[in-house]
Amino acid sequence: MLEIDQLHKAYGDVIALDGCSFRVTRGQLLGFLGPNGSGKTTTMRSVFSLVQPDRGTVRWNGSEIDAETRLRFGYMPEQRGLYPRMKVAAQLTYFGRLHGMSRDHAKTAAGDWLDRLGLTDRADSRLEQLSHGNQQRVQLAAALIHDPELLILDEPFSGLDPIGVEDMMAILLERTARGAAVVFSSHQLDLVEDLCEDVVIIAAGKVVLNGAIRELRARSSHRYLDIEMAGNRNDLARSFGEFEVISSGDGRLRLRVDDTTPLEPLIHRASELGKVRQFAYTPPNLSEVFREVVER
Amino acid sequence: MNPRRSILLVAARDFKERVTSRAFQLSTGITVLFVVALIVVPAIFFDDEAPRWEVGFVGEVPAGFAMAVETASGNAATVEVSQYALRSDAEAALEEGEVEIAVDADGQILVGSDTENRVQSAVLAGLAGISMADRADELGIDVNEISDLLTGGYEIESIVPESEESNESNRVFAFFVTVVLFMSIVTYGSWILIGVIEEKTNRVVEVVLGTLRPHQLLAGKVLGIGVLGVAQVVVIGIITLILLPIQDAFEVPSAAGSVLAWALVWYVLGFAFYAVAYAAAGSLVSRQEEAQNAAFPLTMMLMAAYFIASFSIAGENPILRAASLLPMFAPMTMPLRIAGGDAATWEIVVSLTLMVVTTYGLIRLAGRVYAGGLLQGAGRVKWREAFRASDA
Repeated sequence: MLEIDQLHKAYGDVIALDGCSFRVTRGQLLGFLGPNGSGKTTTMRSVFSLVQPDRGTVRWNGSEIDAETRLRFGYMPEQRGLYPRMKVAAQLTYFGRLHGMSRDHAKTAAGDWLDRLGLTDRADSRLEQLSHGNQQRVQLAAALIHDPELLILDEPFSGLDPIGVEDMMAILLERTARGAAVVFSSHQLDLVEDLCEDVVIIAAGKVVLNGAIRELRARSSHRYLDIEMAGNRNDLARSFGEFEVISSGDGRLRLRVDDTTPLEPLIHRASELGKVRQFAYTPPNLSEVFREVVER
Repeated sequence: MNPRRSILLVAARDFKERVTSRAFQLSTGITVLFVVALIVVPAIFFDDEAPRWEVGFVGEVPAGFAMAVETASGNAATVEVSQYALRSDAEAALEEGEVEIAVDADGQILVGSDTENRVQSAVLAGLAGISMADRADELGIDVNEISDLLTGGYEIESIVPESEESNESNRVFAFFVTVVLFMSIVTYGSWILIGVIEEKTNRVVEVVLGTLRPHQLLAGKVLGIGVLGVAQVVVIGIITLILLPIQDAFEVPSAAGSVLAWALVWYVLGFAFYAVAYAAAGSLVSRQEEAQNAAFPLTMMLMAAYFIASFSIAGENPILRAASLLPMFAPMTMPLRIAGGDAATWEIVVSLTLMVVTTYGLIRLAGRVYAGGLLQGAGRVKWREAFRASDA
């Protein structure tokens, strides 16, 4: 289990981390969310000792992380980078060996990964000769070559095409199923909601929300009401004027209401207006939860 | 994983990637060609072999004649003797220019209009020597006694002590190694500088630093590129040594074995120190364009060391003495003092210790600066900021 415990870090006057704490266990896939500049990358770098926190600790299985332990982790930084002129297979083998694998073991693993990514015929190409998408695949393989116990990926989905996104999702799920603890950051919240059950949301260096997505949504004090009426009516917003209108038009209306608001009067009001096609009362989705906590 | 293994892994990668790169092979090839051309071309076009003197001889040639003339010329020429049956034949050959001078065994030396004076006197002296030896033999006098008789018993004796003469030659040798060191540092220092910045530009460094400490990465880089550089110097050196004998003019400075050993020790230490310093300079910047600026102070130090050395070939002076104790100057100045027999043992010990300690300290410092510089993002980082930014 990875424990991030009360991390503080300031760069001059800029506070990057302000008591950031959360945990992720093996077999858990955790989405690590937060607006730009909220401290995600700094937190991730702390795990690899690339940043020395001013205060606080990072622990793996209860003890502070030493160099030996760190070799069993895999890291894919936001700013991707490998050696452009180095041959793909040699490059993967090198990273495997840096993580402590024997030469033969690393070579075999590199071959397996290239096979899996469909890049076997490019094993002896220089990295720079590969397409952008394939370079991203190699980058992922470089983080996974040694079968890490903890996998940390900073924005793994950025810059991927839809097929790349699907492949990435499949690989993250597979790693998790095989018992790795996986943490990834992303701004694509729909995708996060589809992919994982748990998220941590960080803002201004502090964790503001932490838990299962379903619970976080339910725990919100807001609900969303979607009403669709027959006929392209444009007067719906006026009829529900006392509520916060999120969007309206073409016979549709989306409202934000308090979770204590009784539903029956609203259903009545809608049915009095005409034929109701749809009436949905839902907790906020992840994007809305995110916005609520971050903008607070 | 033990730190040595990490360092060796990095070193092996840097060595292999460069040695197999087209650019490296091309530059090595060009350098080798250049060296070969530098040695072979003058040997072909500037044939400065000793001149050949054709000497005609009428009658029986006395034993050792050619050698006697060569000796008399101060070994400046080789002598070829052509024998003629008749004096008229010899005269004709002289007129035709087939021979430069002719000797008639009857007792005349025939010269033509083109006969050089030095040839004339050498032949005369040669003949005199032979006849003197013959006569002495007949009279039962030892040849050595004759030479005593001729010189009045005087001998030439140099007032320059022999050790000082060899010190001079040792210093020249030490300076020669200094020049090679200077050139290696200038060349491979910039490779290291670029190599270090390259990893930041590629942004691969963040992944790599997740697995090893920054100073290990730097040590590996310096080792890999350093070994490659030294290997290139050795290859070029060997080619030079093989080819040099075809050029007569060049004399390899001779030096005592201990001077050679010391020069090599300081070469390795100096190379290591500056290689690490260049790596540290590289760690301060993140773009290739800034590389030369970052390395400027080092280049100045290097030049200063080189000039101090080159102005001190003649001998000891206070600046040389002071410089030989400071790590940034010692590799180029201390070998000169050791070669000249001017360095006290304690000075050598102090200088060596400072050198090794500083090099180690520098690689730790550079590692720290490197990690700090990386995470400070783009642009140039001040030493102090970078140092503070990381405790690695």
